[in-house]
Amino acid sequence: MNNPHPIDARPLITGDDPAAQAHYQKLVAEYGSPLLVLNRRVLQARFKALQAALPEVDLYYAVKAHPDPEIIKIIDQLGGGFDIASAGEMSLLLDHKVSGRRTIHTHPIKKDQEIRDGLRFGATTFVIDNAHELKKLVPYRSRVGVLLRVSFRSASAIVDLSKKFGCAPDEVADLVQQANALGIHVKGLSFHVGSQCNDASKHVEAITRCHALMQEINTTANKPLSVLDIGGGFPADYALQGLDIDAFCAPIRTALAELPKDWHLIAEPGRYLVAPSVTSVTTVAGKSVRNGFRWYYLDDGIYGSYSGQLFDHATYPLQVFRDGERLPSIIAGPTCDSIDVVAENIAMPELEIGDLLIGHQMGAYTAATKTRFNSIPDARLVVVDHPQERPVLSD
Amino acid sequence: MKHFKETLYDAVCQEFRIDKMYFESKTAHQHLMIFHNAQLGRVMTLDGVVQTTEADEFIYHEMLAHVPIFAHGNAKRVLIVGGGDGGMIREVLKHPVEHVTQVEIDQAVVDMAIEYLPNHSNGAYQDPRLNLVIADGFDFVKQYADSNQPSFDVIISDSTDPIGPGEVLFTDNFYAYAKRCLTPNGIMVTQNGVPFFQQDEIQTTYERMGQQFADMHFYCAPIPTYYGGFMTFAWGTDDLTARTRSADDLQEQFDALNLDTRYYNPEIHQAAFALPQYVKRSFKPES
Ligand SMILES: Cc1ncc(COP(=O)(O)O)c(C=O)c1O
Repeated sequence: MNNPHPIDARPLITGDDPAAQAHYQKLVAEYGSPLLVLNRRVLQARFKALQAALPEVDLYYAVKAHPDPEIIKIIDQLGGGFDIASAGEMSLLLDHKVSGRRTIHTHPIKKDQEIRDGLRFGATTFVIDNAHELKKLVPYRSRVGVLLRVSFRSASAIVDLSKKFGCAPDEVADLVQQANALGIHVKGLSFHVGSQCNDASKHVEAITRCHALMQEINTTANKPLSVLDIGGGFPADYALQGLDIDAFCAPIRTALAELPKDWHLIAEPGRYLVAPSVTSVTTVAGKSVRNGFRWYYLDDGIYGSYSGQLFDHATYPLQVFRDGERLPSIIAGPTCDSIDVVAENIAMPELEIGDLLIGHQMGAYTAATKTRFNSIPDARLVVVDHPQERPVLSD
Repeated sequence: MKHFKETLYDAVCQEFRIDKMYFESKTAHQHLMIFHNAQLGRVMTLDGVVQTTEADEFIYHEMLAHVPIFAHGNAKRVLIVGGGDGGMIREVLKHPVEHVTQVEIDQAVVDMAIEYLPNHSNGAYQDPRLNLVIADGFDFVKQYADSNQPSFDVIISDSTDPIGPGEVLFTDNFYAYAKRCLTPNGIMVTQNGVPFFQQDEIQTTYERMGQQFADMHFYCAPIPTYYGGFMTFAWGTDDLTARTRSADDLQEQFDALNLDTRYYNPEIHQAAFALPQYVKRSFKPES
């Protein structure tokens, strides 16, 4: 058999799990398929776990990771802040009466209208990374507090976020000086070392370098820098091997302990909070055998909830409630496009039409990047309070 | 216990306790609240910014209404842009004017104010001299300027902040059209922010509105809940005598009307035009 595709070796859970299967079948019976199932308990537990792992840090949920009103509501109830990057995200927050004072605007590049919309919404913290953006803030200088985004490239991050934005560390002092001359208050530094980091080494390095930069500036500045925003990058457990966030954050805690006690610390977690909180439920709508492959056609795919496989370079663990011989299979989405394939060459037990296929860890950068292609309806998001533990692969 | 935190400035803010929520409406575009505060009475906020409170609205409304009307001396027709809460028409209609046009962009604001801030208009919406027009203030002055309708002796722009829906009421074109709606010795006054925090607003208004008027100046009054010291009002007219009316003149008019004001009086009127150095310098650097 001529196999053009490398083997898809993602975590795949097979076999009977009557409790889980019944849970998802009940939801599909009630709400239809496809679904995104948001488990409120998981999100709450994640938020609290990160809070406990970074007790001195205020958490601002990065709305872009999953801009769903239900998620915003839960974060709001937990007392979290919000990292926003657009007027659209602001109006979502407005719907929940979240005050602009609990937000920071983190998009380094803004049109004037976006700054005005931000101020009107009540956001007064703005992130910038160059002198052009600084000048745009002059008319609003009495109202805003600025964070300078510094770029530290991370070799270990899957998604590099320091390539597109952020000034070089050696530009910081000059930008702060320019801001002072323009009457704009720079209140601190921010960085984003990249999403889905394997370890916290880049965070630690960035914290240490920002600490030094800020202290050096503070020896002469009349308005001291006192805010450090350590961004996101806290990982999701796509390998289903268990994730110890406290251990991940331990080196960050150690680095932060070196900072002056009166500095204000901020983080902008997205992925870590929402990825495990949402599970995708799709249905096998059709099947066929072609070129020796079992083809299964789902009712959701790359243009919908699985868009993160394309845009976010993520591979989500899958689960089917079947057992038996593993056959080379292709799992495809519902659109007519051939790129709409969720798994190219995966060894799976035989599935039947009507079977459910579960995608785990699907809360971050999934529905957020879905498209309207083929006018296929979105997966509906339903909220559950389910005590069920996330599956962890045993071996 | 709920609190309202004003969202104007990054480093400082004022906070009010919400003792009772009377009204709240939010759309994708704006968030309006009216609530009770034990110290301030009813408070109206828009997009996180205090608009008016029962406790101190008299200062704002008396100063924006009585200063230009007494300075004019014989105002018959007054145009108010904005002011949907009704406080401005209440003060203006205390004068023997023949006609007041009020242009408010949103009927809902008027209805809501009559219901939840009844002391602001205090019945003034019933006055037969009032013509309430629901329209965009900018569009109104633009059309009015090109029509043959009678001009106004006084124009009062009672707007929200320049960041937000009030933005067009701080543009070159708005001042230009408004000027063409005025009689030759007419006077235009506008709400112009708190200069201690918003010095740029003074400068911008001076540059824009100043193009239209031979006498461009500011006057001020402290309104406690417009946080940051005194507020300025922009003043524009071609009548070079209007700003320096004599104390006797003002007193005579004031006495004749027998106004029961709580802030305005002729001494305040004259003193309000005195500006501190930091304000003067923001529009006249040589001061
Ligand atoms: C500025 C900023 N903050 C926070 C995040 C969230 O990052 P993460 O999902 O890795 O926590 C992102 C992601 O793109 C970002 O661009």
